[in-house]
Amino acid sequence: MIQKMSVHPIRKGVTLKSFTDASFKTMRLSVNMLAPLSKQTAATYAILPSLVSRASRQYPDYTALNCRLEELYGASLHTCVRKFGGYQSISLSVSGIASRYAFGGEDMFAELSQLLFSVLLDPLLDGDGLFPQAGFLQEKRQLLEMKDAEYNDKMAFAHQRCEEILFQGEEAGLNRCGSREDVEALQRETLVAAWEGLLSSARFEIFTLGDCCPDPAAIAMHFEKAGRPHALGLVPYREPEVRRVTEEQPLSQSKLSMGFRMDAAPEERMLFQLASAVLGGTPSSKLFQNVREKMGLCYYCSSSVSSASRAMFVESGVETANLEKAEAAILDQLSALQRGEVKEDELRFAKLALCNALHSVEDSLGAVENWYLSRTFDNGGQTPQQAAEDVMGYTVEDVATAAQRIHLGAVYRLKGGEPG
Amino acid sequence: MELEKITGGRVGDFYYRFRHPSGLAIYLYPKESCSTAYAVFGTRYGSIDNCFRRSDEAEAETVPEGIAHFLEHKLFESEEGDAFDRYAETGASANAFTSFESTCYLFSCTDRLYDSLGILLDFVQHPYFTTETVAKEQGIIGQEIKMYDDDPQWRVMFNYLRAMYHAHPIRLDIAGTVESIAKITPAYLYRCYHTFYNLHNMALVLAGKFDVDKVLALCDKLLKPSASVQVERVFPEEPESVVQPKVEERLAVALPLFQFGFKENGSLPRTEWDLAAVEILLDILASEASPLFRRLLDAGLINESSFSYEYFEGAGYASILFSGESQNPEAVAQAIQEEAVRLAQDGIPQEAFERSKRALYGENVAALNSTASIANGVLNLSLKGRELFAYIDAIAHLTLEQVAAKLELLQAGRSVLSVILPLEK
Repeated sequence: MIQKMSVHPIRKGVTLKSFTDASFKTMRLSVNMLAPLSKQTAATYAILPSLVSRASRQYPDYTALNCRLEELYGASLHTCVRKFGGYQSISLSVSGIASRYAFGGEDMFAELSQLLFSVLLDPLLDGDGLFPQAGFLQEKRQLLEMKDAEYNDKMAFAHQRCEEILFQGEEAGLNRCGSREDVEALQRETLVAAWEGLLSSARFEIFTLGDCCPDPAAIAMHFEKAGRPHALGLVPYREPEVRRVTEEQPLSQSKLSMGFRMDAAPEERMLFQLASAVLGGTPSSKLFQNVREKMGLCYYCSSSVSSASRAMFVESGVETANLEKAEAAILDQLSALQRGEVKEDELRFAKLALCNALHSVEDSLGAVENWYLSRTFDNGGQTPQQAAEDVMGYTVEDVATAAQRIHLGAVYRLKGGEPG
Repeated sequence: MELEKITGGRVGDFYYRFRHPSGLAIYLYPKESCSTAYAVFGTRYGSIDNCFRRSDEAEAETVPEGIAHFLEHKLFESEEGDAFDRYAETGASANAFTSFESTCYLFSCTDRLYDSLGILLDFVQHPYFTTETVAKEQGIIGQEIKMYDDDPQWRVMFNYLRAMYHAHPIRLDIAGTVESIAKITPAYLYRCYHTFYNLHNMALVLAGKFDVDKVLALCDKLLKPSASVQVERVFPEEPESVVQPKVEERLAVALPLFQFGFKENGSLPRTEWDLAAVEILLDILASEASPLFRRLLDAGLINESSFSYEYFEGAGYASILFSGESQNPEAVAQAIQEEAVRLAQDGIPQEAFERSKRALYGENVAALNSTASIANGVLNLSLKGRELFAYIDAIAHLTLEQVAAKLELLQAGRSVLSVILPLEK
């Protein structure tokens, strides 16, 4: 099999990963900046990518830049702020169709990369050398509205509250975009220096993906002064005490979100993913089969792992009267897993489902980037295929032993009730 | 069997289409380079099909709301067990969904495709309902209805539809209501199953890595010939007017949500060209490159992450709609209306038209990366008598005049604004 992924170290703290596959009809170039998550910088870093990508020196106006993207066959210039454990990932990416579909004859990679590098390295500033006031006010408003939208989505809201409670007082408990107060306090005057600081201090993970063959040297020349080699790692494990919070909102269905800390080594990522899959990751899992199907305690009940945080979360939608019963039933299923009460079929089905997902990664450019970006925190070079081989090798005993190192740390209940 | 090869011209793809002797329409879209195969088996039967007339019967029949969705849940069960348990053996990722006009069963896999396809073709063709299993499902679906009750996006949509439609069943919740699903019995389920799951009323689409001959051999083995019965959808008369121009509700939200749109005469036929023309018009009118979007953004009335637009149309209904979050939905609605009037008066600039055509072409090319997007797209279009590449071709060949003609759909007298407001403190 041809190796599609190649890694090009550019300098200390800056790495280019190229996933070349001409069977895709599109290409993508992404620059991910990884910086330690901190209360002082989270909101500032969160506003920066949208601020720099509103316009460029060549297209010095929001509408002009978007018209250019439309001319480039609906290309997108996209920003994203994520959290990996104690790190914030600030990303700018461009994607568009491959040159062979561009009927105007454009070299799409040249066009798109020029656009991305111009906003990244030479953003549009006003006469005072600041990001323009109008754009700043718009982006600040939009960041606050995004926080409002997170409150509107009750499943996402419950998960977020649970994570805050699980990691209370630690960086991993901070919101990926900082708090509402931090966003409100943002000052335009500080942002250009913050952007320059981010460029010089972040670790850079750059990706080119799909139907394009970039020259690594040509990309490297843009990053001569950028980046710092942070050693990335997982959130340290701490033995948790269980924190419980119940809040009320006028909802028909209550939400129960339970957070667990995992005493997992970096190389055990797939083992804990498998343990979570057996517990609640698939329709054949313990939570689905027992808590939802047999006991009828909730409409949905599933578990997922946040590897960089060394955490597992169980989320469910429950009738208010069943909140206690559902919580007890979920913990019973975890206990059964810890005691090794796992049928061979349960383990095999979880392995097959996990491997199906792993073998599908290379069919999506976004999934390839996510895989290798999140892998920088533990097992850098591991391919999805290698991960699938690891998964298939684990036994019931391995999974039970891992489950014994999963400890409840937070129970968040969003309790439904009548309005008023 | 004669396979018809449909080619995509500029996009370079192709797929096979044919009618299986059992009556089933089959579409096979090979993508050898993929690791995955995605299969979807769907019926032209959704939540709007509560009144129907079979071609072998004289009278139309009305059934309780929510049966299509209820059937989707129940079909996974058989006397031998659950279809999910069978998929667990192959590792496929399986799911199903019910929309207004169709019910679809799907899976994606990277291994043991033919085993998974066998499971799909088998369980969808073998209904099994008892009084006990129906009673249990009434509880589960009751929970699902409650979950949607709390979803402001869902509520803003259905409030919109109820404010727009007097009688068309598009105004009904897809899952029905707790009261309507209480009326569902095994007899109703069998009746609707045997009416709508006739293979002449269904389609199968595969996209990704597979062997055409092996898929066809499996279809020959597992598809049961069905009588050639057609099902006619029977809808009540729908006036051209809306029920009410504005509807509001208060929920636990931090920022108001809105949906604003225009009602069109839904009973008129619409082709791939009509769809493409409206979509180009919407891009010209409200994409991030448009003057309208810029004005709304600068005025703090919309945000980039939530504002969107859509041509929402199907059997007996059609509406152009805009949605998002806003501190002032009234002002957004007014600005959209004013911009439609301005474009009609001043004309659409040629460069905006060309730009939007390019953007839509690019988005459609990009969508052909994904086996899920291809298979679902081909299925949805086919159940409505449309074809994927004809739609992409229409984007390339439409004229400015054809697009401008669609501006008449944005009529002020037929608009609805639905808003979800935060709770009063």
